[in-house]
Amino acid sequence: MKRLIVFALAAGTAAQAQRPTIDVSGARVQAYPIALAPAAGAPEGGDVMEVLALDFDRSGLFRLLDPRSFLADPAKEGMSANTIDFSKWTAVGAQALVKAVAKVEGDVVKVEFRLFDVPHAAELLRGEYSAPRAAIRQIAHRFGDDVVRSFTQEPGVFQTRIAFVRETDNGKQIVVADSDGHGAQQVTSGSINLLPAWMPAGRSLAFTSFRDGAGAHLFQVDLATRAVQQLVKMGDFATGATFSPDGIRFAFSASQAENTDIWLSPIEGGIMRRLTESRGIDISASWSPDGKRLAFVSDRAGSPQIYTMAMDGADVRRITFQGNYNQEPAWSPKGDLIAFSGRDEHRVFDLYTVNVQTGKVTRLTQNEGTNEKPSWAPNGRMLVFSSTRTGKKQLWTILPDGSNARQLTLEPRGASDAAWGPLPRP
Amino acid sequence: MTEAHPQTVYRSLLGGDPRTGWLGTGLLLAIALHAGVVATAYFLPRFLDRPKPLRKPVIAHLVALGKPRDPRLMPRKESAPPPAAAAPASIPQKTPASTSKGPTRELTRQELMERALAGAARGRTREEKPDPERAGQETGSPQGTAASAEEGEKYFGEVEERLHANYVVPSVISERERLYLSATVVIYIGRDGSIVRHVMTKPSGNSFIDQALVLAIQRTKLPAPPADLAKLVRDEGLEINFKP
Repeated sequence: MKRLIVFALAAGTAAQAQRPTIDVSGARVQAYPIALAPAAGAPEGGDVMEVLALDFDRSGLFRLLDPRSFLADPAKEGMSANTIDFSKWTAVGAQALVKAVAKVEGDVVKVEFRLFDVPHAAELLRGEYSAPRAAIRQIAHRFGDDVVRSFTQEPGVFQTRIAFVRETDNGKQIVVADSDGHGAQQVTSGSINLLPAWMPAGRSLAFTSFRDGAGAHLFQVDLATRAVQQLVKMGDFATGATFSPDGIRFAFSASQAENTDIWLSPIEGGIMRRLTESRGIDISASWSPDGKRLAFVSDRAGSPQIYTMAMDGADVRRITFQGNYNQEPAWSPKGDLIAFSGRDEHRVFDLYTVNVQTGKVTRLTQNEGTNEKPSWAPNGRMLVFSSTRTGKKQLWTILPDGSNARQLTLEPRGASDAAWGPLPRP
Repeated sequence: MTEAHPQTVYRSLLGGDPRTGWLGTGLLLAIALHAGVVATAYFLPRFLDRPKPLRKPVIAHLVALGKPRDPRLMPRKESAPPPAAAAPASIPQKTPASTSKGPTRELTRQELMERALAGAARGRTREEKPDPERAGQETGSPQGTAASAEEGEKYFGEVEERLHANYVVPSVISERERLYLSATVVIYIGRDGSIVRHVMTKPSGNSFIDQALVLAIQRTKLPAPPADLAKLVRDEGLEINFKP
C-alpha cells in the first residue's frame, strides 16, 4: 500500500536572517574582593592574618578590603555561616570572607580558618592549621595556598622559596628566603657567588662561584647541610646552570678558546655535549616546561637576542627582533611566554615577555629604575625580579601583565639574581 | 465479426492509469521533487552551519595622539587612554632618559602593609600611569586606543570599545580557563542604543566567566545605531564572540 507523505512545508524553510558579528577579546582581570575579618582569640591570630593579607595582596588574585570599612561587628559574629550577617559583608563589596580564631597551646599556635562565599552565604573551606610559635608565618602560607587552590584549582606559591644573591661586605652570597622575602638564610660564605638555580626537588642549589680562584665555575650547595661541592669546571669559565623539568640533565654556558656556548650534561655526570656552535656568544639557557626546547641568548646576528633551539641543538629560531640588547630569558611554566630583560632606547633595562608562538613583545616595567633577571613562580602567575626603583637593587614581584609590583626584600646592600623555587612536594 | 475500433482514452497524469492504480508517475515525480526542495531547505543551513553574516565588521579603533614608534625599538608599556578630565591634546612631555634614581629610603614592613591596603582601597585592576611617550599618530586623538589607523565600521568599533571597557573577569578563575574559554552572546539593540535583551547562545562553561559577561553587557551603554543598521541590530541582533 502506498502512502502519501505529507511534509510540513513551513518547517525550517525560512531563510535565517543574517546578523553581524564582532569579536571582543583581551579581558581585563580584576582581583577578587576579599575581606579578612580580624582574628578572634589569641593575639598571634592577628600576626597570622597580617601575613595572609600580604600574601593575598602580592598574588594579585585578591583585592583586600580595608578593615576600617567593615560594617559587621566581629564580637557578635561567630565562625559558622548561620552566625554571620552576609549582607553586611556584601555591602562593603566582599565576594569572599575569611574568619579565623587562634589559640596557643604551649609553644604551638593553632588557627582555625573558615573561607566563605559571601554572595551565596556558603562555607567554601575550613581547617585548623598549627605551627611552632617561631614559624607561625607558615600557618598563613599554608592556608593561603589552600584558598588559592580552592578558587583556581591551581597550586598556590606562598609556601615556595626564592633563592637570590645578597650583597655583603665579603662579596656576594647565595640566600634562600620564603616567597614573601622573610626567613632569609645565607647558604654560602666568602667569595663571589652568583646565579643560583634550583636543582630538582628543591633540596640543593647550583650556582656560579669564583671560590676556587680559577675563574667562575659551577658549584652546588646542599640546603640542609650547607655542604658545597663542584658541579662543573670547564674551560675559562662555566656558568648559568639550568635543570631540565624531568630533573635528569642540566644546561650551562662554558667558554673554551674564547668561544662561549651552551652545553648539556647528565645530572649524574657523564658525557657533556655542546649544543651551540656559532662563533657568537651563547649563554643564559632556560628550559621550556615540556623539556623539549631551550631558550638562550646569542649575539650571532650582531646583538644579543633571544633564541630557542631543540634539545639536541637543532631547529634554532630567533624569537626577539626589537631592541638591540635582550637577555636573561625565563620560559614560563605554562610554556606560552618567555620573560626577559631588554634595553630600551634610553639605555635602561626593563622586563618584557615575548609570546613564543606569535612573537609579540609586551613590556612589563617602564620608567621605574632598572629591572632585570625575571624568574617565574612555579604556577606561572607571578614573576620575581630585581629592581632599583626604590634605590638599591631589591627583589620585587610582578604579575605577568606588568601590574601589581610588590617589594620583597629589604637587603641593606641590595639583592639580585632571584630564582623562584619549585612547589613543595606533598 | 465485429471489428475493433481504436478508442481514445483521455487519462490525466494525476489520475493515473487504472491498470497501475490511481497514483501516477507524474504525482510520484512531483512529490519527490517537492520533498527534495523541502529537504534541501531544511538540511542545507545545517550543513553550512550558519549563514555568512551580512557584514563582518572590521573594528575601528581611535588613533592615539602621539608619535609613530619605530618598530625596531622595544615596545612601550600598554596603557589606557588618559582620563577625560586630562589636559586635551597637549604636546607630550619628554621624560628623562633614565629614571633609575628613585627614593632611596627603603620601605618598612608596616609601610608595605599600608601600601597594600591603600592599593586595595583604590580598587584598580592595574596600576597604570599615563605614558607620555605613548605611541600614536600626530593627528590622533588624546582618547585614542590604537597606535596606527585601521579602517572599519565605526559603529561596531564603538560597540566593541565599550564592551571591552567592561570586559572584566575575576582573577580567581583558573588561568587555563581564562586563557582558553570563549562565549557567544547575541544582543538586541534598540534605536536609542539600549540593549533591550541578550541571549547567551554559547556559554563558556565557567559560571564566573558567564556572570562576568552578563555583567559587562548590563554595564555597557551603547550609542544609538546609525539608521542603516538600526533595524538589523534590533531585529536580528549583534553576535558578540567574547574571546580570551
